[in-house]
Formats: sequence, C-alpha cells, structure tokens
Amino acid sequence: MTETASLFDTGGYNYDDVEPLPISDDQSDGLCQILYDDEYRQVMGIARALFKNQEVSDRALHATAETIELVPAFYTMWNYRFQIVKQLFGTDEAKLNAELDWLDEFTLNNPKNYQIWSYRQALLGIHPNPGFLRELPILQSMIDDDTKNYHVWSYRRWCVNFFQGFEHELPFASALISRDVYNNSAWCHRMFVLKSQFKSRPPADLITTELHYTKAKIELAPQNISSWNYLRGLYSEYLENTFDPEIIAFARSFVADVFELPQTPPQILSSYALEMLAYIYSQDLETFAKARCAYKALANTYDPIRKNFWDFKIRSLKA
Amino acid sequence: MALADIDAKRFPVQKHQKYFERHLLILPSKYQDNEPNKLAIVAYSLIGLNILGIDTSKKYQNSKAWLLKHQQCARYDGFSIAGFIPSISIHIEENPSFSLMSTLFGLWCIICLEEDGLDSYHEELDVAGICRFVSKCQSENGSFVSSFDTLASGRILASSIDPTDLRYAYAAVTILYLMGCRNTQDFGRYISVEKLMVFINAQACGSGFGQYGEPHAGLTSCALSILDMLGDQWSTLPSPFFERTIDWLLHRQVSSQGSMTLMTNSNECYDIDDHGGFQGRENKFADTCYCFWCLNSLNILQKRIETKFDRGDILSEYLLEKTQSKLLGGFAKNNENDPDLYHSCLGLAALALNSGEFDGTVFLPKRLSRRIRMEAEVGT
Repeated sequence: MTETASLFDTGGYNYDDVEPLPISDDQSDGLCQILYDDEYRQVMGIARALFKNQEVSDRALHATAETIELVPAFYTMWNYRFQIVKQLFGTDEAKLNAELDWLDEFTLNNPKNYQIWSYRQALLGIHPNPGFLRELPILQSMIDDDTKNYHVWSYRRWCVNFFQGFEHELPFASALISRDVYNNSAWCHRMFVLKSQFKSRPPADLITTELHYTKAKIELAPQNISSWNYLRGLYSEYLENTFDPEIIAFARSFVADVFELPQTPPQILSSYALEMLAYIYSQDLETFAKARCAYKALANTYDPIRKNFWDFKIRSLKA
Repeated sequence: MALADIDAKRFPVQKHQKYFERHLLILPSKYQDNEPNKLAIVAYSLIGLNILGIDTSKKYQNSKAWLLKHQQCARYDGFSIAGFIPSISIHIEENPSFSLMSTLFGLWCIICLEEDGLDSYHEELDVAGICRFVSKCQSENGSFVSSFDTLASGRILASSIDPTDLRYAYAAVTILYLMGCRNTQDFGRYISVEKLMVFINAQACGSGFGQYGEPHAGLTSCALSILDMLGDQWSTLPSPFFERTIDWLLHRQVSSQGSMTLMTNSNECYDIDDHGGFQGRENKFADTCYCFWCLNSLNILQKRIETKFDRGDILSEYLLEKTQSKLLGGFAKNNENDPDLYHSCLGLAALALNSGEFDGTVFLPKRLSRRIRMEAEVGT
C-alpha cells in the first residue's frame, strides 16, 4: 500500500505488502446503493484482502477490529476474528483475557449489537479458566445502563448456568427490584434462579421467604403485573397450585368489597389481585359465582380493554 | 376496513410510498454500517410498498437480475449449497458469506418482483441448493445458526459464534416453506423437525416463548409462526399452554382504562398515551413493532379456536394517531422517536393484519403469499 493519506489506523502494524481488495462498485440496477466514504473503502479493502488470503496474524486481528468498529453487523468479520483468536491464542489465558477486554470496550459502545453476547459465549467456551467474576463488571454496567435489556439478562442467565454460580443472583435481582419494582426481567430472574438452582424444588423455607418478599413488594405497588405473576408462579410451580385462605385474604385486601356486589363499583387497588382471585375461584365449582363476579368486574370496570377475553372466561365457567 | 379505504388525511399513502421508495435509491454514507443488512432494507421497502397496494414487480423489474446475483453457490465435499449473500460490494468469492437472514430477505425481495407466475422461482432459484443450505444450519440441539465458520476450508461447520435463538429457527422454517415444504414430511427431508420441536419446547415459558423463562413477544411470534408453517406439530405442546399464551398476549395491549391508570405516577414505563398499542414484555412501553408481533401471534392462535379477542380497532387507532408520521411518511417505534424503515414496515404490516390483507406467518401481503401458498412443491 503506497498511499500516504491513509484513513486506516494501522495500530502500529505494517500492511505495506497487502494489496487491498477493492469493494465492487459495479452495480447496475442495484437498489439501495450506499455511498461509501474513503475510510470505509480503505478499511474494507485491507481487511477483506487479509480475509481472502485467510491470514492468521496479529495484524489481521487488528484489521478485523477496525472493520467491526466501522460495520458492527458484519458477521463474517466477527467469525474471521474468532477463527484468528482460536488459532493464534490457543489456550493462552492472558491473550484470551485481552480479547475479552477488547470485547468489553466494544460492548459498552455498541450495546444493541447482535453479535456481542454469542461471541462472548464462544470465547468463554475456549478459555482455559473462565470465571463468572470476570463477567460481573460488564454485566453490571450494561444493566445499569438499560435495566430491562433482554440480551444482557439472557447472557447473565447463560453465565449462571455455565458457571453454576447461583449465590449472588437473588440479591442481584432484589437490588434491581428495589430500584424499580416494575422491572419484569428482575422478577423473571428470581424464578429462573429457583428453577435452575434446584432440580426438583427449592427448600420450603426459601419458598416462604420468597412469598413474604413478594407480598411486601405487592403492598408497595399493588398494580404490578410482574410481582403478581411471580406470586402465581410460586404457587403453580412449588405449592401444587393450592391457594390457602391466607393468600386469598391477601389478594382480597386489594379489591375492596367487589364481591359484595355494591351498587357502584368501588375503587380497587389492583386488577391483578382480582384476576388472581377470579382464577382461584374458577378452579372450584362451588366458587364459580365468585369467579363470574370477578370476571364481570374486570370486563366492565377494571380492565375493559380485555372484555372479550373476560367474557370468554365467564362462558368457559359453564362448560 | 381495507387500508385503501382509510381517509387520506388519516393515512397519507403517497407519503408512505415516498418514504419507502427513498430507501431504495442512493443512500448517504451514514448508512454504510448497514451494508450487511442491505437486503433487509430492500425487503422492508418492497414489502412496505406492496402493503400500500403498489405493484413493485413492474417498477423494479430491472433490479431482479441484480438481486439474483446475491444468490451464490458453493461446493463442499462434492455437494453444492446455495444461499444469498448480504452484499455484492463486500463479497469475497472464495469465502461467500451466506446467511439464513440474507437468504430470507433475498427471497422476500424476489417474491416482491415476481409478476403473476413465479418464473424466477422455477428458473433462477437453486431450490435444492437453498434447502441443503438450511439443512446445514441446524445444530444438534435443534436450533439454527445463520452462517458457517469462515476458515474451515473445504468443510462446512456451523458458525461457532452465531446466536441460536428462535429468530434463526423462524428464518430456516420460512425459507423451507417458501421453497415448497408444507408438512413435517416435507420439512423432514432437510431438517430434523423432532429436534426443532425439542428446541421450541425448551423456549416455552409459563405462557409465551422466550429465553430462560422470560417471555418475549418477538420470539413468541417466531415460535407460533413456525408451528403454523409446520402445520402438524401443535400437539407437541399442551393446549392449556396456548390459552395461557393468548391471555399473556392480550395483556400486552396497553390500556388507559380502569385500574391501569393506577400506574400513572409510579411505573416509569407506563404511558397513558400508549392506549391500544402493544408492548413486547410486561411493564414496557408500547412499540410499533410489537403491535405486529403480538397481533400476528394472536391471529395464529385465534384462528385455531375460531374466536377473536383482540381489540384491533384501538390498535389501529394507536398506530395511526401515535406512531405514524403524517408529515414525513413512515412509522416510528413509539410516540416520541422519528420514523425508521423497520418500524414503518412493521407498522403497516400490523395495520394490514388487522384489515385481513397480510399473511403474518410468512410476512408477505396476502396478494403475494397467495401465489406461494397455492404453489405445489417447487424444486426437487
């Protein structure tokens, strides 16, 4: 390469012998033609030339980084990078850690990129001594930035399974719930932890603790679908779906005197409490009347947008 | 009401048309990081135009040859596979970057340029090669990668770094569907339906589908569309699961009525103006694209039990009044952002689903999908 006004950051490597592979411009009748700038042309020219020759070297690794930063969705370059890392670094722990450092930095700048998390999983898969602790700072930072980021939560759960590291997870979820009681991912994380950590069922005292915890959070924000879902999940997964009088009384404390059929619908604190009661009452023929009352109240007053569905539930009671 | 019958003041078709057409012209360099998604840009634009009732097969007919250049073949160990590469400009002949996603987007583009027959289908597409490509993307656990490892010369190895969520499984099954597969026996010639169903089952949450037990409307739409295309695998999941999933999906429609207003000051992701729109997960803002994913999922399930629960009317109201850009054309993600191509296409698709003009499972206007669906098996 003889150009002096290079827009390609060589990172100190020598690419003089690389004949750039120009990007093709001949696209008659092409749709959606993108006008590339000079930097793009140069970076693509060099990186693709190296890729074409299947070069495995430090400078090729550097060229993939330059390309990926410019075009984060270029999955072929990500894959080429991984092949270089595998062949060049083998099981060298320090070098693989350096690759993770590079990825951390890239992740912070490209939080929505589609490749980062699966690339990271592949790296940990070839790492001789991977550790959950190494992953925690980037996970924390990404969650702090976007507390409901689905990919980040999924990656955390992958780590939990991969490292079989459960001890920090319920406190982690609690911290996010303290910050925002409506964080559905954090509530789902609790159930994920219970299910993954305990192959059959969690110890009874843990279930009791979880019930107390959830009820306290419901008291704090009664109209919260996430906490009610979790409460119902605890019953269906671990308590044989049997709702004792205490939990029924708890739910009824949020629905005023709806079941006494007052003249005008009362102000209630939670339609989700009413939904749970409707469900419980629909499980037993003897309480069908109460179930019907609850579904009617949902359909007509407390959740009218789903009236068609609540009416269907009433019809199902007769069946 | 058909989209064509909506008052022009509420739904300025010509502005939407211009919005999509602009994306098919020359794009400034700020789009260059989208090079690997180019076929997605073309597909969303062409599908958007077709939803608006514009026949793209005439106007863009000359570009068909260019599109077909994206279809490439490769030989490995004595057999060949075919697929679409994301871009000719960055193509490297020795190492084609086929991907399932490029292939699906490429096929959608070709279908939008087909005149009445399906000529290219029969003459220009390497149907058998494409099916073999899909076949090679399935992993041992039933899921799919989108591409191959790059330096494994002479051998095909599924990519070691691809994500394997339900999106690629949806792409794989849709490609095979577009290639003519109609039931487990057809699909089974290329992929293991049994393993695919094990994978899908593992993604089933208490209700809906998602990763690690957290249901997600987009992934739910992928899973239900797959079940719809396979046609004969519904019983692999218990029927109460599907009723719970309908329940879950209906709850994704944001409401400004009844008890919901209790969240007004406490839930930072609750906006009373989102009324009628759908969210992707619990306690999130409504979003144009989730209107499509939820409604498509509901359509698939409601069709099976021949009942309609959803309030499509207020959904359309939300899209037309809150996320549509009446000034520029296109749709935004929500009531605050600027329009973008993806949400424009998905917003229109949701409206057209509502009016019965869109086939959500294969993501094409019915006018186009009808031809595909009527085709007997093409190819081998």
